[in-house]
Amino acid sequence: MTLTELMHAQDRRGCVGDGLFYRSGPFIIALRTRLADTLDLLEQFYGPCWASRDPAVAHFQVEVNSASGLRRWWRTQAVFALDGLHPFEPFPREHAFPLLEWGLNWSIATRAHLYLMLHAGALERNGQALLLPAMPGAGKSTLSAALAYRGWRLLADEFGLIRPADGAIVPLPRAIPLKNRSIPVIREFLPDAFLGPVFPKTRKGDVAHLRPPLPSLERQTEPAQPRWITFPRFVPGLRRPQLKRLEKSLGFTRLAQNAFNYRLLGEDGFTTLVRLVRECACFSLEYGDLDAAIALIAEITADAPG
Amino acid sequence: MHPAKLHPLLRGAREPSAVVHFSADDWNRCLRAARTERVLARLGYRIADAGALGRCPAAARDQLIAARAYPGFLQCRIAHEVSQVRRALPAADGDLILLKGAAYHCAGLPLTRGRQLRDLDILVPRTRIDAFERDLLAAGWESQPLDEYDQRYYRDWMHEIPPLRHPQRGVEVDLHHRLLPLTSRLRPDPDLLWESALPVAGMPGVRVLSPVDMLLHTATHLFHDGAIRGGLNDLWDIDELLRHFAAQPAFWETLPERAARLDLGRPLYYGLLFSRALLGTPIPAAVLTDVGRRFAPARPVNALMHTLVTRALPPQEGRSALTGLANWLLYVRSHWLRMPPHLLLPHLIRKSLRRLEHAGDHSRGGF
Repeated sequence: MTLTELMHAQDRRGCVGDGLFYRSGPFIIALRTRLADTLDLLEQFYGPCWASRDPAVAHFQVEVNSASGLRRWWRTQAVFALDGLHPFEPFPREHAFPLLEWGLNWSIATRAHLYLMLHAGALERNGQALLLPAMPGAGKSTLSAALAYRGWRLLADEFGLIRPADGAIVPLPRAIPLKNRSIPVIREFLPDAFLGPVFPKTRKGDVAHLRPPLPSLERQTEPAQPRWITFPRFVPGLRRPQLKRLEKSLGFTRLAQNAFNYRLLGEDGFTTLVRLVRECACFSLEYGDLDAAIALIAEITADAPG
Repeated sequence: MHPAKLHPLLRGAREPSAVVHFSADDWNRCLRAARTERVLARLGYRIADAGALGRCPAAARDQLIAARAYPGFLQCRIAHEVSQVRRALPAADGDLILLKGAAYHCAGLPLTRGRQLRDLDILVPRTRIDAFERDLLAAGWESQPLDEYDQRYYRDWMHEIPPLRHPQRGVEVDLHHRLLPLTSRLRPDPDLLWESALPVAGMPGVRVLSPVDMLLHTATHLFHDGAIRGGLNDLWDIDELLRHFAAQPAFWETLPERAARLDLGRPLYYGLLFSRALLGTPIPAAVLTDVGRRFAPARPVNALMHTLVTRALPPQEGRSALTGLANWLLYVRSHWLRMPPHLLLPHLIRKSLRRLEHAGDHSRGGF
């Protein structure tokens, strides 16, 4: 059953008790929430994903609800819990959905050590994948979002999950949080894409979520083999994008610094990264204009068969 | 306690192949509790050893395997710290004995697999501890500044000196000269430990406790040096040490006698009793009877401890007034065992006054 079907077939209040189970990429999430607006947004962003009311073994057991006590009456707050513990300070009540998304990302980053986790966008075409590793603020989400609506399948906008066994990228398509200036840019660039409400003044400024294209959610359990690595950097006003081929050794060093859990994985992390860099062509890309960047990426990835 | 009523985490630890019959709800409770108790990776190895990992649901297997990374990382970090410490100390300082996790790891004992290992605990002779500390400070380790009272607390009453840390690596190194505080009710003689400590292959100048002493120390640490609550990881150590050393000749025969000599009969009794009750550790009936006859407390105390510990040690879900009471009574007991009342009372008053002064200041983790 998909999340959309479940939401329409069932009484939503049921999610309070044993919770709601849904799939995001390789993960099963057990969510408890009494917040109707959060459930609505969840359905809008993850509608085609598998979901169930019957208990399933979950990777993450999370809860997002209003804070209890006096805070229920005065400037209400939303709290996030993982396994019954509260890893962060509460958010304003209206920001419950970004809190859930952010909390889940944090949970994944601190636990999903079955994968080498790169801080990267990832996209696939004809079974071959492009990784866009970058630190926050380099425009990785914006570029991933744009490519996702220009012929590429979005695998992830934030987590490049590399499976050590075969080096494949395991998709984790999630609502793409666009920040500040990116919101009007994407609104203009993708007028037909679904963009959620703007949450003003979060810890990262204004945030609005872009829904990944539906096929990307429908095919979220299909991995892809990495073929290109491009380190993007957004430079305001840069007319012509600058693309440079990178030495593999440099690509390796930059990825080792970029990964969430490279040191933690020890030898497995090293061998996985060596294999990844060996199998991929590495580039750095500076861009100021999305159309020009997409055209340039199409050029370097044109040798893909099919 | 009837096994069917046990928490799924305990059921999984006792009979790892039975997890293949877990419901999704059992699994979710088990995985969650295993994380909280820091034994998720250890449970995973147990299930793998029983040949059942491949038959676990994928989401459970993912987590059992992913959980191995962090303990592996911590173990590398501690092993590196051990070699740094050994290198920083002149041979003239003499040998050191690794305790607890570092000992299990460096001695290559199977129970190290999946075990989270944060601090490095080392036993050194009391006469040499000042020299060891001086040498480590000279080699770059740092001691956090303490006021006069805290210094006295450590130096006059405790079994260890204030923790040392190397600023670049941040691992907490605790130098001990005994197993329990100087003020503690039980007084194991450290000289006896030194006499039977064993060398570690490939690490000159480094030793570990003998198997019986290692088990006695682990039981003492859980039952006579802390509040017991949250100690399932320590109970797991006791269980695995017993399962591992059971194969050694004369282990069971020497254990009670050694406990009597070291004044650690009571912790041994509790260690065997609760490891068997909660984790199903196989222990020869004759050993249990003998240890019970020699070291069990008076009957009402025994019954009370059984009630308290079987509430406080298993994973605690939700809030229950009885479990809260058990936790509190065991907390009070831990202080009672650490210090005689004429020292304890002023110390606790000082502690609570300071807590008021420094509300929200967590830097004094030493207490």
